[in-house]
This record gives sequence, C-alpha cells and structure tokens, in this order.
Amino acid sequence: MLGATVDEAQTQIMTFARNANFTLEDRAHCLELLDGHGQGQRYIVGMAGANIGRTPPADIVLADSEVSRAHCRLTLENGVLMVTDLNSTNGTFVDGVRILAPTAVPVGAILRIGRQSLKHEWRTHREILQSNEFDREIGKARSYVEALLPPLLTDGPVKTDWLFEPCSKLGGDAFGYGALSGTQFLIYMMDVSGHGAGAALHSVAVMNLLRQRALPGADMADPAQVLAALNHMFPMDDHAGMYFTLWYGVYDTASRRLRYASAGHHPAFLVPEDRSQALGLRTRCGLIGADPGTRYTAAMADIPPGASLYLFSDGVFEFVTADGVEWGLNDLVPYLQMPRLPEMTESRRLFRDVRKYAQPGGLDDDFTLLVLTFD
Amino acid sequence: MEMRHDNVGEVRRVVLTGRLDTAGVDVVETRFGAAIVPNGKDTIVDLSEVTFLASMGIRMLIATTRALSRKGGKLVMYGAGPGVMDVIETTALTEIIPLAGSESEALGLVG
Repeated sequence: MLGATVDEAQTQIMTFARNANFTLEDRAHCLELLDGHGQGQRYIVGMAGANIGRTPPADIVLADSEVSRAHCRLTLENGVLMVTDLNSTNGTFVDGVRILAPTAVPVGAILRIGRQSLKHEWRTHREILQSNEFDREIGKARSYVEALLPPLLTDGPVKTDWLFEPCSKLGGDAFGYGALSGTQFLIYMMDVSGHGAGAALHSVAVMNLLRQRALPGADMADPAQVLAALNHMFPMDDHAGMYFTLWYGVYDTASRRLRYASAGHHPAFLVPEDRSQALGLRTRCGLIGADPGTRYTAAMADIPPGASLYLFSDGVFEFVTADGVEWGLNDLVPYLQMPRLPEMTESRRLFRDVRKYAQPGGLDDDFTLLVLTFD
Repeated sequence: MEMRHDNVGEVRRVVLTGRLDTAGVDVVETRFGAAIVPNGKDTIVDLSEVTFLASMGIRMLIATTRALSRKGGKLVMYGAGPGVMDVIETTALTEIIPLAGSESEALGLVG
C-alpha cells in the first residue's frame, strides 16, 4: 500500500474444475497468487485446464502489462500439472527457469508470469476453504492497521513518504508521525515479534495509545520515558509472549534537533541533502516487553536543512537473495545514499532497488519504509 | 532447523542448527523447552550453527531463559556467527541472556 488507505481485497477462490463433483476431502491443484494487488487469490485448476492471460477470455486474468493476452496454458496430465507457453512476449518461468516446451509444475513450485508469481499447491478443498477464511481474518487485521497509518505530508517543515507492503501472513509492523505540541513533531516505527492477526492487533493497541499523545507517567516529548512507559504497559508475559521493537523520536522544528531512542530496533538513518553519508541513529536499549528492568536512554541529533530520515522494519533488509545469500542491513545502507529519482518516490525507489535481489515470490515479512524530509 | 542436546558435567548443552525463524521455531520450540526447563539445570546454547535469527527465535530464547530462571537455572548463549551476532547486538539481547564467545567461557558463566 502506498500512502493511502485501501479497502482490503477479499481473497477469492476461482475454480476451473467445471466438470468436477468434488467433496471437501478431495485434493485439487491450486495456484496461489503470491504478490501484487491480488495477493492471496487462489485458482483451482481442474481437468478442463485453464488459460492464463492479461484479458478475457483467459480463465485466469492477470492485469499486468508484462503478461501477454494469451500467455500460457495449464493442463493436467496423469495428475501432473503442466504448463505450456503460448508464444508469450516475456516468457513463462517455473522456479526461475524459462520454459521452452510443455513443462511439469511440481507441487511447491513457483510459476512466474510477467511480474506475478503463483505457487502450486495440492490441497483438499477443506484446506483451501480454511486458508481462505484465515486470509479473510488477516485481511481484516491488515485493513485495521492501514486505517491507522498517517496521511502523507506534502507541506510544512516535515514532508513524508512511506510504503507499507505487508507480507501475506501480516508481520506486525506499524508506524506513525504528527504534531505533538507547538514546534514538536513525533515519529515512530515498531515491529511486533511474530506474524499474523495477533501481532497486528498488538501493534494496533500501541498505535492507538501513541495516537492519543498520552502515556501514564511519561512526557511524550521524552523518548526514553515513552519507551519505559510502554515497557511497563506491555510485558510479554501478559501479551501472549509478544514483544516489540520500537524507534521513537521527537523533532523540534525551531531548534532543528531530533531527540530519539530505540528499543531493540536497528538504527534509523539520517542522509544529508548531498547524500554524502548515512548516519545511523540508535540507542542500545532492550526490547519492549521482554524485561521489566530494562533502562532506556535517549540521544540527540542536529538535522541539517534538506536532510532525510529513513525508518524501516527488518523486513526491508532481512531476506534471502535469488542466489541464496542472506541480505542484511549493511547491504541496504548504500542504497539509502543513492540519488533521488524525479519520477519516483524514495520509498518506491528503495522497494524497487532492494526487491530486485529477492527470490521470486511474495514477501517473507512486511516491507515497511518511512522517509521524512526536513525543510 | 535441528536441535541436539547432551550434558557437560552438571550443565545441559543444547546445539541449534539452521535458521531460527518462524518455521524453524515451529520445529524445535517444544523440544527446546522440554530439554531445558523441566530439570532446571544450568544450560549453555550453542548458536555457532544458527545461520539466521529472527524475532520468533529471540522470543523462544527469552521465554526459555525466563522459565529456566524461575526454576533457579541460568542460560548462556555462545558461538554466535557474524549475522546472528548483528541481531543480538541490535536487539540488545545480552541485557537479558548472557553471551559467551566460546563453550568454555559459557561454562564459566553458568558455573
């Protein structure tokens, strides 16, 4: 999602088993869309097979300019799912290999068509329906989180740009910003341990507190006090074993100083207008909720005119590349310093630059990135 | 994700191997807790063969450490490689669970 709230698309099952008379325990060949706007959508391929293309009359329509009108055909041969490319412009790929002839798609394989990835699953109709119900619940939780995310700021002393691309399991990321009082501007990014609706609702509970700009016994302008108050309010023993990481800062537009503290979170990075460095901003403090005795400390940074602050969750840099290499924070930092592009937002540029290294398929974790640019 | 355990004298030793992410935790969490918590022995956990440590892995380590502590036992990690070390440092996990560089150092910390 990019800077706006959208109504969550419902997961759908589309079936091409036209002549099938199945029971819930019968297994079916199912393709699950792993990315893009229709993420989570499932297509059951029956004995009649199915054509994939960009427009009808294709049975499976993928609205992607890199998908040909009639792109490929799926068939079942002796119980094996086969795919045949229909002379498409950009080709059909099975587990990253472009097919040159009718090719088997093993269970678990990723079928890549244009920019879309579909995973082949062999599941009972009952399992598919249960997954569908689960996805609907995840979809509701995702919508709840998205509804609480702040609008983009395009005027004023702080401008914002963000990208929130949750993984299919929903990862528990959240962030916020806005006026605190007078010249003070609040910023935060958090990541709840684990995935699913539970993690998302935990993040929502914290977001709702911070949106009220009030915490018991804490000065909201003092990051160390805020972290300590949250640590007191959200012990993991009382919250299904969940803890969270948090980066929290308060920027004073008059003094141009940013006061910040982090709890188990990697640094935010301050990049000056000339892109000459990426300065990590972090205090070494423990996770929120993990230990009631944790002490929190804050630090200060001067903000030069035109500088940008990058905050993100670990899903932005923790992934395995197509070559099987673990990516990490040190791999990401040089990309933060690269020049801005006039035709693209910073968050979208970084998503493009980083995700090109990832294995095909959906995200393993939320990709959450917030860029603040100071006048 | 794999796990094996034995004893070094009176100390329980657990060796974890693989990615300690959500899927890895699903595989080992029950066995990990069962191998450590019930007898309340001091425990050292070898992370040298762990290739990735995610939030669910941290959660498993913290929960087990706390459960063991309630039984009077102590848990110490050791042998973390560079990638896992980065995560431990970022999350300040050593504020909750001590980390040693080697097995002998870990045994010294629980002894």
